Amino acid sequence: MSGTLTCSVSDLSAMLGPNATAAAEYICGQLGTVDNKFTDAAYAVDNTYLLFSSYLVFSMQIGFAMLCAGSVRAKNTMNIMLTNVLDAAAGGLFYYLFGYAFAFGGSSEGFIGRHNFALRDFPTLTSDYSFFLYQWSFAIAAAGITSGSIAERTQFVAYLIYSSFLTGFVYPIVSHWFWSPYGWASPFRSAQDRLFNTGAIDFAGSGVVHMVGGIAGLWGALIEGPRRGRFEKSGRAISLRGHSASLVVLGTFLLWFGWYGFNPGSFTKILVPYETGSSHGQWSGIGRTAVTTTLAGSTAALTTLFGKRLLSGHWNVTDVCNGLLGGFAAITGGCSVVEPWAAIVCGFVAALVLIGCNKLAEIVQYDDPLEAAQLHGGCGAWGLIFVGLFAKEKYLNEVYGATPGRPYGRLMGGGGKLLGAQLVQILVVAGWVSATMGTLFFMLKKLGLLRISEKDEMAGMDMTRHGGFAYMYYDNDDESHRAIQI
Amino acid sequence: MDTTCSAKDLAVLLSSSSNSTSSLAAATFLCSQFSNISNKLSDTTYAVDNTYLLFSAYLVFAMQLGFAMLCAGSVRAKNTMNIMLTNVLDAAAGAISYYLFGFAFAFGTPSNGFIGRHHSFFALSSYPERPGADFSFFLYQWAFAIAAAGITSGSIAERTQFVAYLIYSSFLTGFVYPTVSHWFWSTDGWASASRSDNNLLFGSGAIDFAGSGVVHMVGGIAGLWGALIEGPRIGRFDRLGRSVALRGHSASLVVLGTFLLWFGWYGFNPGSFLTILKGYEKSRPYYGQWSAVGRTAVTTTLAGCTSALTTLFSKRLLAGHWNVIDVCNGLLGGFAAITSGCAVVEPWAAIVCGFVASWVLIGFNLLAKKLKYDDPLEAAQLHGGCGAWGVIFTGLFATKRYVNEVYSGDGRPYGLLMGGGGKLLAAQLVQILVIIGWVSVTMGPLFYGLHKMNLLRISREDEMAGMDMTRHGGFAYAYNDEDDLSVKPWGKVEPTSRSSTPTPPLTA
Repeated sequence: MSGTLTCSVSDLSAMLGPNATAAAEYICGQLGTVDNKFTDAAYAVDNTYLLFSSYLVFSMQIGFAMLCAGSVRAKNTMNIMLTNVLDAAAGGLFYYLFGYAFAFGGSSEGFIGRHNFALRDFPTLTSDYSFFLYQWSFAIAAAGITSGSIAERTQFVAYLIYSSFLTGFVYPIVSHWFWSPYGWASPFRSAQDRLFNTGAIDFAGSGVVHMVGGIAGLWGALIEGPRRGRFEKSGRAISLRGHSASLVVLGTFLLWFGWYGFNPGSFTKILVPYETGSSHGQWSGIGRTAVTTTLAGSTAALTTLFGKRLLSGHWNVTDVCNGLLGGFAAITGGCSVVEPWAAIVCGFVAALVLIGCNKLAEIVQYDDPLEAAQLHGGCGAWGLIFVGLFAKEKYLNEVYGATPGRPYGRLMGGGGKLLGAQLVQILVVAGWVSATMGTLFFMLKKLGLLRISEKDEMAGMDMTRHGGFAYMYYDNDDESHRAIQI
Repeated sequence: MDTTCSAKDLAVLLSSSSNSTSSLAAATFLCSQFSNISNKLSDTTYAVDNTYLLFSAYLVFAMQLGFAMLCAGSVRAKNTMNIMLTNVLDAAAGAISYYLFGFAFAFGTPSNGFIGRHHSFFALSSYPERPGADFSFFLYQWAFAIAAAGITSGSIAERTQFVAYLIYSSFLTGFVYPTVSHWFWSTDGWASASRSDNNLLFGSGAIDFAGSGVVHMVGGIAGLWGALIEGPRIGRFDRLGRSVALRGHSASLVVLGTFLLWFGWYGFNPGSFLTILKGYEKSRPYYGQWSAVGRTAVTTTLAGCTSALTTLFSKRLLAGHWNVIDVCNGLLGGFAAITSGCAVVEPWAAIVCGFVASWVLIGFNLLAKKLKYDDPLEAAQLHGGCGAWGVIFTGLFATKRYVNEVYSGDGRPYGLLMGGGGKLLAAQLVQILVIIGWVSVTMGPLFYGLHKMNLLRISREDEMAGMDMTRHGGFAYAYNDEDDLSVKPWGKVEPTSRSSTPTPPLTA
């Protein structure tokens, strides 16, 4: 770290001899000014970096909206896209009112934050509005994931209720545990208070975001049951194909693009030197994180391409897109603390995990239109384990503060404590989300508020609840094409 | 600005006021503070420059998305899944091959003038090992590499086997393209304008700032050979030799893709400065690399806009209507052309660039029609043709001041029409010939070999049915439920009069 700029007038003038006080004051004044300018510059640079990263993460909402739209049947397109728009809108409001406070509000005993409700007493010494916006963009990502699992058969009211609860309470508490400097399992706690001497390492949220969204979706989809026609009486699975591969690819690429804000942006600051006078600092770690992210997704995509070619006999772009996203979900936990070659391993395994979870879902007759539980839940969990195996000591010290003797990846020689912390994270996230969202979905079902009627499901939700079909390729009065309308 | 500080020298200056011991202490203190300032400034510069380069890389990556949508909208619906899969895999396979060897071939240093080869660059093994090269640079170059491969897929769309695609794409991104980028962009490259040992080609080196030649011509010439060797799509030219337009299935996707490419071009062109925090003149502290970056964004914008407008009116004259697809292609041709000289020309010159680019594209399209050359995305005409024009344009219009600023020199040759002599233009012409030659002798035989092994073109039946149905698991679009018999299916999206064999009906 560079030295600090300090200047004591009395010391300097003594050194300069008699009648040197004015000179000393002058020099100290100038050095003070220079110091201030650097401080200002650092804040400007870091906020620019974090704000633009937030905008990128926000663009993942567009990506997920398009992915969802393309993956469902045309008759439910309006519905799913509305849920995505509202994730962002309702999430914005609830996260501002209490979500952020629960997640990052001031000191706490480790379970839940308690300050900065509706951004009171804000900005603080450590957090500015850019940080709030960045965290908001993450919160709405988690809620979006869940909507994929329960697509095509869920009442809109149920959707509003679960989404607010998830973004305003369930998710913020999880992020408090692992990302707040006060969270009980957080690696940002002071060194002597960390879980297993390390805290669970989940850099950008394989667990905090992806598992939370995926497990919530799992319970929703389990409790309301598969879509009609998805599994025949004999148990055979029928694929209910999405209506537009173009939208799926558009959405996937936008998610990939936004992931460059999601992963590297999680450093939140870029102007942090590691050693005095070196050309390598946090900016290098950030670049490396963008590279590990890219490699994991790319490897997962290629593995899925060839895997599916073997399993189904053709080259399938929608499967490749899902594989790609699974690779990203997995690398999200460890992107900043592993070598690029390890990211390739991560992506390779993530593709296999996704294929495996999908096969399992088919066997147990679990229907998830976006494979969200399998992808975000399954690959997210793998991502946490991956960190426990491959995290590098040097990078952990750079990112989480130099701590001599800290545990690191088991396969890198760092012992088993980090892996232990990761497993604790998986269990705790699965348990908390199941207890909260599982109960919520069950109550909604009991109140008759969860699933839509069979008639509505066959006709499609757009027609029955959202004002009409999403697409209108022919005029109302064009008889020759027997237009697709009511 | 020199921030070194010698305590002894400073002490001498200070010693007139007191005894020498305390003035030495004062001097030491002052010098160490200046050293701290210098470190802080250096850290700030790295942070700013990396932020700039990383976000530029993300923008260039967004062009993959743009090209995927442009391709999808430009082909028939029955081949949509195929073309989009090729675009996704460009990025994914390109990441692996560029990481493993492409980057090392391109920028591994020290090396020779032909190809990079330092072991520490393969698979980024001990990277970054020196200042000035960080992960942001690798990511940025990767984003460029996959752009080149994407271009080629447009020329061979709708009729190429997927295996052939995987093979040519890895070869292009992992070897052919990196070698070219080594020649023109590495500090060791034989034709590079930023060559470090002052042995510049014609005393100038070729100036291809963001890659009209290195990226666009490489992609376009590779596509040219693929499309030539496999021949036109069935139905594209009828028995009388008349050309039949095989229209793309979605103008909305074409426009979406075009705008995303435009958006991403702001990373492609201005980002090629790699750094932004650099002052140029002490006397004008507000003028620095950040100004040049901004100017480059402006020249980029003006060239594309001029080309779009020129195309709009020309096509109105030639075809009789206002055509958004043609305007989009014209726009992109303007961008491909300005890419070479965007940093070294005045904004007014960018207007000239775009104007000519539009005509170059129209001309090459007419030529293609005459020669019965079929390119579903006009990729060879646009990227190859307009790219080559862009390289020439730089040799004509590069200004003295900007060339010497961007390529740090004194008295370097510059644009012929700006009074800079013919050396730069000569270097540009060499670049064009060498790229055409290299890409032809690498990709030409590759495509020919694939053709001879029957791995290149798909069968006639597959082409008529559409690749999505036969090789990619089904149709891209399903607007009605399969069991909904009350409505006619969306299967037929092009009239049957275009092809001699009727399109088979969509099966549930």
